[in-house]
Formats: sequence, structure tokens, C-alpha cells
Amino acid sequence: MSEDLRARVLAYLEKVDKVKSKDIAAALGEKKSDVDKVVKELAKEGKVEFLYIGTSYVKLVK
Amino acid sequence: MAELKTPLLDQLTTGPWPSFVADMKRLVDRKPTVADVLAQLELSYEEKKGHWKHGGIVGVMGYGGGVIGRYSDMPEKFPNVAEFHTMRINQPSGWFYTTKALRDLMKIWDKYGSGLTNMHGSTGDIILLGTVTDNLQPAFDEFSDLGWDLGGSGSDLRTPSCCVGPARCECACIDTLDLCYDLTQEFQDELHRPMWPYKFKIKISGCANDCVASIARADFAIIGTWRDDLKIDQEAVREYVNSGFDIQGVVIDKCPTKCLTWTGSELVLDGSNCVRCMHCINKMPKALRPGDDKGATILVGGKATILQSAFLGWVIVPFMKLEKPYDELKDLLRNIWEWWDEHGKVRERIGELIYRKGMRVFLKDLGMDPLPQMVFRPRANPYFFWWPEEVNQG
Ligand code: HEM
Ligand code: HEM
Ligand code: SF4
Ligand code: SF4
Repeated sequence: MSEDLRARVLAYLEKVDKVKSKDIAAALGEKKSDVDKVVKELAKEGKVEFLYIGTSYVKLVK
Repeated sequence: MAELKTPLLDQLTTGPWPSFVADMKRLVDRKPTVADVLAQLELSYEEKKGHWKHGGIVGVMGYGGGVIGRYSDMPEKFPNVAEFHTMRINQPSGWFYTTKALRDLMKIWDKYGSGLTNMHGSTGDIILLGTVTDNLQPAFDEFSDLGWDLGGSGSDLRTPSCCVGPARCECACIDTLDLCYDLTQEFQDELHRPMWPYKFKIKISGCANDCVASIARADFAIIGTWRDDLKIDQEAVREYVNSGFDIQGVVIDKCPTKCLTWTGSELVLDGSNCVRCMHCINKMPKALRPGDDKGATILVGGKATILQSAFLGWVIVPFMKLEKPYDELKDLLRNIWEWWDEHGKVRERIGELIYRKGMRVFLKDLGMDPLPQMVFRPRANPYFFWWPEEVNQG
């Protein structure tokens, strides 16, 4: 997976409190499935966490 | 505790069938929770009004699905069911257990929960009814130490389920058990994290008998079938007939496409018209068998009534070879999910979205071709609407 997309997802998450994966994809103009993959990797590394409020949101682990 | 009086519920124990009331009363002495469930239900019968609330967020670490929150709306009156959450445990493919596995599971549930179970839920899972918020994590930890996992709930992939398939059934055209397990492993994130407009169910049947009713109950139904001609053992057919079997009435006349003939000594098949419905095979299992070139038909959109009426699945792939690692199938699933997530409204199932946008939009966006098998009666039903620019007007 591209390092570039990873960096951009992280940069985007810095700017928001919590966001849906789908909306990250829309904001970055990327495919949602690609963003999903990056987010899953980041979650496994403990860099982002999932929040469930009706649906899944992603946020940076502070 | 006041004595438990349930005259209305007790009427349910008077019939000839086993009653959940009688079963639950056997637990009452050991489990005060169960007494309160019964007492609250009795009140519901008196008042003709439910007293359960769907809850806020309850769950276990790392999971957004698998626990269904429930609370009583009269916690002062029924304190033991103030919290009464349900855990969904992912069942093994085809529901095969050892008795030891079941006993171990039940030991944990007896320790942390009400002792009530539902084997199995409509989703397929082992449904464990009734525990409190504080017990969720310790119960889950013990389940997972034994290798059990939670199933799906909420707007995520629900626990995939399948028929017993090749383990027990000679009709199976695909290895339903392996496929179900493989998909469950592959899509762990989708199972445990609610992230779509609504639920998504995958059910797998080894043949068109569809023992898990996937066509009606699954957003994504995988039904085993074959592509060449079904196999006929003429000698065995004659044995059926010689022993008095009414082949004309029971098989030939009931074939939906009238593609079988009985000459008096031979069964003749017009293979190009067989729709592989399984009828003749079910009636003469010793003489007829599915063909050799096996795979599955994929259907999308089955569901019960919620926004729209009940739907059966539509065929979107008439035949797909299904061999490990099932990449073609997985790619198709991912593409469907992406499209649904992009266009679906909250609580809109994939079938409803296809209904709203039209099958041709769905097929075009997914890069699939319209095929006659997608149509109920290919020669009579103008089901598919062509894009205007594709119609030859000349
Ligand atoms: C007015 C009351 C209720 C309504 C309208 C209601 C509605 C529903 C619906 C629509 C589902 C399917 C959800 C889905 O699969 O997405 C469901 C599932 C379920 N509900 Fe309820 N429910 C009610 C009360 C209760 C109560 C009182 C309990 C337990 C104390 C309960 C336990 C469950 C369980 C365990 C399932 C999952 C069953 C399965 O998938 O096998 N519900 N309910
Ligand atoms: C007179 C009382 C009741 C009647 C007539 C009744 C009837 C039914 C019926 C017809 C179903 C659907 C079964 C299926 O299609 O698979 C069902 C499902 C269910 N019932 Fe009951 N039920 C009653 C009481 C209860 C109680 C008291 C509980 C729990 C404490 C309960 C828990 C459930 C659950 C969890 C399901 C979901 C089953 C599934 O997931 O397939 N029911 N019930
Ligand atoms: S669906 Fe077919 S393969 Fe599966 S159990 Fe039923 S008859 Fe057997
Ligand atoms: S499988 Fe169904 S359609 Fe095919 S020959 Fe048998 S009864 Fe006819």
C-alpha cells in the first residue's frame, strides 16, 4: 500500500476529531477500499482506533 | 422475591408441545434473572405492551458488533433484567460441535449469563440471551480463550452461514463448510465493525434445495450447481420404475422445463433446457446425480420486509467456479460493498438499493453484463431496460 496514501490519511485524521472511512476517501479523492486497507493497517499498529456510534468512525490514538 | 405468578404464560404450557415457559421455569430457582423475564413478560401479556428497550452502546474491546444491548423499561420493578444483553457467538460451519465444546460454552454462559440460549438464531449464530454490562468482557474473554468468536450484529457483515454440505449430503456441489469458514476469516473486519448502511448476510447452500434458505434470507446467496448435464444411471432408473415408482407423475410431469422424457426403458434428458432445480434428483437420488462441472450461482438482494417488501435474491452470476482461494467471489463482494456504501441510504439493504437505482445501473457500475439468467422468464419478461445509447434505433 502506498506510503503516500498512508501519510495523507494520517494528515487528514489530524484535522478532524472522528470521521467515517468513506468520508476520508471522499475528501482525499481515493477509492474507499484503498482507504479501508490503510486504516486497517494503522489500526493494527495502534495508530488509529475505531469508535462505534451507530456506525464505525476512525480517530487517531492520542 | 415475591412468588412468581404467571397465569397467562402458564396457558402456554397446557398444549401438546414443549413450551419455553416450562423450560424457563426450570431455571427460576437458580437464576433470578429468568424469574424477572417471566414476570415482565406476564405484565406485557396483561397490558398488551412490550417492556424492553433497545439499548445504548454495549460491547467488548475491539468489537462494534456481536453484543445486542437490551434494557427493561421498568428496572425498579424488575431489577434483575434492568440489563439483559444478548451475545452472538459465531457458530462453526454447518453447526457441527462436539458435546464437549457445547458443555464448555454453556459452563461459561451459566457463570456469566441468564442460562437462556437460542440454538440457533436466524442469523445462524449461537444466541446467548441475557447478561449484564459488567459481565460482557469477562464472558467474552473466556469464550475467546476456548477459540470462540463473536458474530456480527448491527450494520456490518453478519455471521456467514452454510448448509451441512459435503459433510453429510450427497447433493453438495461445493464445499460449503470450507467456503463459509474462509469468508468468515477473510472478512473479520467487516464482521466486527459496523460500517455500512445496514446489515449484510452471506448464506451458502450446496445445491438448489437451498437448505439455509439463502435466496430469501441472504443479501448475498451462494447456491451450488453444475454446468454440464446431470448424470443418469439408466439401470437404477429402471429399478425405480420396476418397483412401482410413478416416474411420469412424480418426475417427468413435474420437471419445470419439461426437459425429461421416459421412453418406457430410458430416461432422456434435454440438457440445454434443464434449469438444475434438483427436483428429479430429489425424487430419484439413487439414479440421478448432479453433473461433474460444479460451481455456484450467485444471487444478490434477498431480505425480509423493512423499507421495501420482502425480496428474493436476483441472479447476478449464473455460474462461478468456486475454488480456493475464492478470489473472484471475494472481489465481487468487495465491489458490491463499495457500491452499496457509496450510494446506500441509512438502513437500506443492497436489494433495496438495486431496486431504487435499477438493475442496469448496478450492473453498469459493477462492470457486469446483463444475462438472460437474471430474468424470471427470459422470453416473456422485459425486465432489463437498455441504456438509450445502446439501443439500435435503425
Ligand atoms: C419492540 C420490541 C422489539 C423490536 C421492534 C425488535 C426488533 C428487532 C429486529 C428488527 C431485529 C433484527 C435486527 C437485525 O438483524 O438487524 C431484532 C433482533 C433481535 N432482537 Fe429484537 N426487537 C424487540 C425486542 C427485543 C427483546 C425484548 C429482546 C430480548 C430481550 C430482543 C432480542 C433480539 C435478539 C437476540 C435479536 C437477534 C436475533 C437473531 O438475529 O437471531 N429484541 N429485533
Ligand atoms: C409467547 C411467547 C413467544 C412466542 C410465540 C415466540 C415466538 C417466536 C417465533 C415464531 C420466533 C421465530 C422463530 C424463527 O423463525 O426462527 C421467535 C424467535 C425468537 N424468540 Fe421467541 N417467542 C416467544 C417468547 C420469547 C421469549 C420470552 C424470548 C426470550 C426470553 C424469545 C426469544 C426469541 C429470540 C431470541 C428469537 C430469535 C430467534 C432467531 O434468532 O431465530 N422468545 N420467537
Ligand atoms: S442445500 Fe443441498 S447440499 Fe446443502 S444440505 Fe441441502 S440438499 Fe444438501
Ligand atoms: S434438475 Fe429440474 S429442470 Fe433439470 S431435469 Fe431435473 S427436474 Fe428438470
